[in-house]
Amino acid sequence: MILVVNTTEDKEISGKVMEQAKVMGKDVKVIEAGNKKIGNCIGCNYCWLKTPGECTVKDDYEEIFKEIIHAKELWVISDTALGFINHKGKNFFDRILPIATMYLKFKGKEMRHVARYKSSPDVGIIYSGEADKAYLNRWTERCAINFESKSLGAYSTENIKEAVACM
Amino acid sequence: MHVVIINGSPRVKEFSNTDKILAKFTEGLTENGTTFEQYEVSDRKQWDAIRTAYNTNKNILMAIPLYVENIPGLLLEFLKTFAPKNDGTQLSFILQGGFAEGSQLRCGEAYLEILAKELGCEYGGTLAKGDNFSIRFFGEQTRERVTSPYKEMGREFAAQGNFKSEACRKFTGPETFPLMIRILVGAMFATVARKSFKKIAAGLGCTKSLKYRPYK
Ligand SMILES: Cc1cc2nc3c(=O)[nH]c(=O)nc-3n(C[C@H](O)[C@H](O)[C@H](O)COP(=O)(O)O)c2cc1C
Repeated sequence: MILVVNTTEDKEISGKVMEQAKVMGKDVKVIEAGNKKIGNCIGCNYCWLKTPGECTVKDDYEEIFKEIIHAKELWVISDTALGFINHKGKNFFDRILPIATMYLKFKGKEMRHVARYKSSPDVGIIYSGEADKAYLNRWTERCAINFESKSLGAYSTENIKEAVACM
Repeated sequence: MHVVIINGSPRVKEFSNTDKILAKFTEGLTENGTTFEQYEVSDRKQWDAIRTAYNTNKNILMAIPLYVENIPGLLLEFLKTFAPKNDGTQLSFILQGGFAEGSQLRCGEAYLEILAKELGCEYGGTLAKGDNFSIRFFGEQTRERVTSPYKEMGREFAAQGNFKSEACRKFTGPETFPLMIRILVGAMFATVARKSFKKIAAGLGCTKSLKYRPYK
């Protein structure tokens, strides 16, 4: 499943993604999360050490998380701030922590957490507003390394066609 | 010199590894008369006071835990309300994370340089170091041993005024570990470390396997 989560309040962006996906014959599931209650990770680490796999922050994230673990691709649509995705987009990624376990291993030359589920989604970003594209691409690559998956890249909302072509 | 220190961790001060690091860092920082005031982003009630301190001081130090290769979402939420200063303010960073290799901090570090620019501040460099995940779980003695190197870096910051010296660069430690070390540490991860994580979990009241999958 290709999962697209729109953390902005602008449904036109996800609308364009769906439209383009239809044209290209791709099946995407869109979740509008712009108005959902999704708080920040509070760093309690309970999802690793007290209630394994489960976040203590009880809000709308849990339902989305249940979809993430079955997705082949995860595309996050985010507004930008300070040259990066904004706090809503970043909170979305911070809260993904229960996808990993506390356990560690080496993957290549670097330490990684052992994954909790059988597979993790490849990751892509669609950003709305000013940002440092080269940096966002670098960051998406690093996120994917942590998921032991592939980066699908970071695309401005002006290049939705390009993003959907990568789905 | 007076430094405004902002702990950017969303974790409450009592449990924040950044806070324990800062405790040592400021011991060294203040030895020769440098003063500081410290704030916590985890406490929203402090946000107005932090904004005022940030706007009225020219030497700011943000101490930040790496959160998914960048700064925590909560800190981004706080910073988004800041207008660019453009008044010669210097913004320096302590960046610390769980993974031990220097290579794991570089993506976050690169963003901090972008962030300083976005905030209209002069970049005072980043003191980057990993292997800090367990500070909060350590007993006093081990915690002292693990955090005490930061005291020297406090002295260094007081002396240099920034984190651009060779001593700060070296403080990060190895970018990656040699193969032999990776094999040894990898074996430890699969044995001793697992046991110790299970023990910590049990202490927190965990009754499930740490690999438990709550969602099917
Ligand atoms: C949501 C989340 C994401 C994290 N991401 C990283 C990471 O990408 N790389 C890393 O080395 N450590 C990562 N860590 C570990 C923290 O940086 C580390 O435990 C740090 O010492 C926490 O400091 P604090 O107690 O002051 O919050 C992450 C921790 C959390 C809770």
